[in-house]
Amino acid sequence: MYKYILESVSQINWMGILPLVLFFSFFTIMLIRVLREDKTHVSNMAQMPLEKDS
Amino acid sequence: MSNTVEHFKYDNTIVRNFALATIIFGIIGMLVGLLIALQLVFPVLNFELPYTSFGRLRPLHTNAVIFAFVGNGIFTGVYYSMQRLLKTPMYSKFLSNFHFWGWQLIILAAAITLPLGITTSHEYAELEWPIDIAIAVVWLAFGANMIGTILKRRETHMYVAIWFYLATFITVTLLHVFNNLELPVTFTKSYPVFAGVQAALVQWWYGHNAVAFFLTTSYLGLMYYFLPKAANRPVYSYRLSIIHFWALIFIYIWAGPHHLLYTSLPDWAQSLGMVFSLMLIAPSWGGMLNGLLTLRGAWDRVRNDPILKFMVVAVTAYGMSTFEGPMMSIKSFNAITHYTDWTIAHVHVGALGWNGMLTFGMLYWLVPRIYKTKLFSTNLANVHFWLGTLGIIFYAIPLYWGGVTQQLMWKQFTPDGFLQYPNFLETVTQIIPMYAIRALGGLLFFAGLIIMVYNILKTMANGSFSPTEEASAPAREKVHVAHKGEYWHRWIERRSVLFTVFALIAVVIGGLAEILPMMMVDKNVPKIATVEPYTPLELEGRDIYIREGCVGCHSQMIRPFRSETVRYGEFSKSGEFIYDRPFLWGSKRTGPDLHRVGGKYNDLWHYNHMYDPESTSPGSIMPPYPWLVTDDLDKSKIGKKIKVLQMLNTPYPEGYENDALADLEVQAKDIADRLRADGIDQENLEDKEIVAMIAYLQRLGTDIGKNQVVENNEE
Repeated sequence: MYKYILESVSQINWMGILPLVLFFSFFTIMLIRVLREDKTHVSNMAQMPLEKDS
Repeated sequence: MSNTVEHFKYDNTIVRNFALATIIFGIIGMLVGLLIALQLVFPVLNFELPYTSFGRLRPLHTNAVIFAFVGNGIFTGVYYSMQRLLKTPMYSKFLSNFHFWGWQLIILAAAITLPLGITTSHEYAELEWPIDIAIAVVWLAFGANMIGTILKRRETHMYVAIWFYLATFITVTLLHVFNNLELPVTFTKSYPVFAGVQAALVQWWYGHNAVAFFLTTSYLGLMYYFLPKAANRPVYSYRLSIIHFWALIFIYIWAGPHHLLYTSLPDWAQSLGMVFSLMLIAPSWGGMLNGLLTLRGAWDRVRNDPILKFMVVAVTAYGMSTFEGPMMSIKSFNAITHYTDWTIAHVHVGALGWNGMLTFGMLYWLVPRIYKTKLFSTNLANVHFWLGTLGIIFYAIPLYWGGVTQQLMWKQFTPDGFLQYPNFLETVTQIIPMYAIRALGGLLFFAGLIIMVYNILKTMANGSFSPTEEASAPAREKVHVAHKGEYWHRWIERRSVLFTVFALIAVVIGGLAEILPMMMVDKNVPKIATVEPYTPLELEGRDIYIREGCVGCHSQMIRPFRSETVRYGEFSKSGEFIYDRPFLWGSKRTGPDLHRVGGKYNDLWHYNHMYDPESTSPGSIMPPYPWLVTDDLDKSKIGKKIKVLQMLNTPYPEGYENDALADLEVQAKDIADRLRADGIDQENLEDKEIVAMIAYLQRLGTDIGKNQVVENNEE
């Protein structure tokens, strides 16, 4: 029983690796982009709930 | 560029309606919670009635708190903040009202069907198929209204709260549909499409993400709006909120299998769940710190302003439970906490602390504003705050203590290698004082709620409600001129549809990575030749077990620990559950595991035990089930049930739906004869529900003993 499960795992290894790669690249790109975002825009966005009529 | 200022009105009526529903269902949900907490101390409070027994009321409590109290709380905050952040009334008044009344009707349907024992027994998805369809329709109406509002907004960019609302909508839709795939037998009974291990994985993919995307992301949206409002300062770091959002929705969806550690779920899936759960600390704490640091320079106000106090405790509770969750996902730690009251304490730090306290803070802030007045009494709000905070402490600490105590007792061996506490009941009676203190904690929290109700009603009476609120804003630029050097996220903040697609992709990747192997698990589950489908009588007994909510207190999953195999027998194998629709592994042991209870006691013992648990187990806190002994078994559906199960590939012989009733009656007579031989003198015994229940319990876990042959089912 265990042998069978262990054997079948090798066929789905890519399912673990692909999301990891996807997540890592997505997260890194997002981080770089977010940190380089324009300062005025970021502060405008943060002020949004405090604006008149918000 | 058109920059004319446009005038419009925000709709406050829908906000007020949802706020009132939040309060009403807060009272009901918590009152039922208090009752079931007391039932564990005083079993007499089960009232010997089917409708008020613990097993049926527990799902009523969880559904009322999650979907009625917190659900209406979400909608209150979303309808208030969304209009204002997007500078437009809601897209459709009809959809708003349809959503409101539809949601309340669904809650009413739940409040009727759950005490009647109409349940799928999937935790937090107990409602039967017609209500599931109604939920889908109403939820889609909410989504359509939300997306319509986003499309006609006057703000060019969407504030972070809106992203959290969108993610909530998209993901809950996905989860709800997948976890409720079922084939109807009658209007009030269905069998799920997935069985056994697969069902467990889908259920906890749902169960975990219901917490993530119903109770968490939506409330994070509310936090990002109402906390800056109450503190009157912008969120600490808007950049951090972007990272918080994407990281959270990407990672959360993977963590479900941490609910199934040490079960028959394949190891790789358990490890995947554990790793992603640990990773969750990062975005969760990023969000918590972002919330707390929003108060930088305003901490002096926290001393005086009860609204900020509620929000600080809420965000702190979020931080605590999102630290605790990943810790509980570590296998060795989970071995101690799982199946115990630790889990109950954990979810209540989230529900009472994070959801409850944030809801209260939001209501105290919002109600005076839409009633154009001041809060009736700040002092009463302070009293509520302290009752609530003390309530959480008195609730959680005894349960942590009781949980660890009980698990250690389960695991304790004598020097000679025997279980120190072989009688499970001993480990229950030991922690009843903890249950009593927990009920006190619940009472304190509930008392605080009642004070809030008084305070809010007084505030409403003193003020005058304004159904609409005038506002003005420039029309949205039809063509946005991209600024030089503009970055990706700013660009996507403007494109709501694209944003939705991106968020969907983020959650689908995690979902697929869990679901696809799950589909393949079907082929990975080694069939055990001796495991056979349930007989018609056992099937009926199993459906009674489901109806009575036995799964709320009894697991059917023996973990591969010496302490469990010595106590319960051979550990559970995935191949044993292939005909289990729904799976009944359970997640809490208030009573012992039942997976190998078959053959452990004789029929008479079960008869007496169900009629009056104390007659066989003095001191037991299990509710009595006298109606099983007096009520006739409804045999009229057995043919239909067999047919539906055949459609789901349960290998009953062809045409068996016509022979099932005869087989059922033969087996019932056998059991009734044995009971009679043991001295039970009851008329028409073979027609009673108890006989079916005994048949099911005696079958549990016995298949594996029949010359076990394990074979691979390669096709």
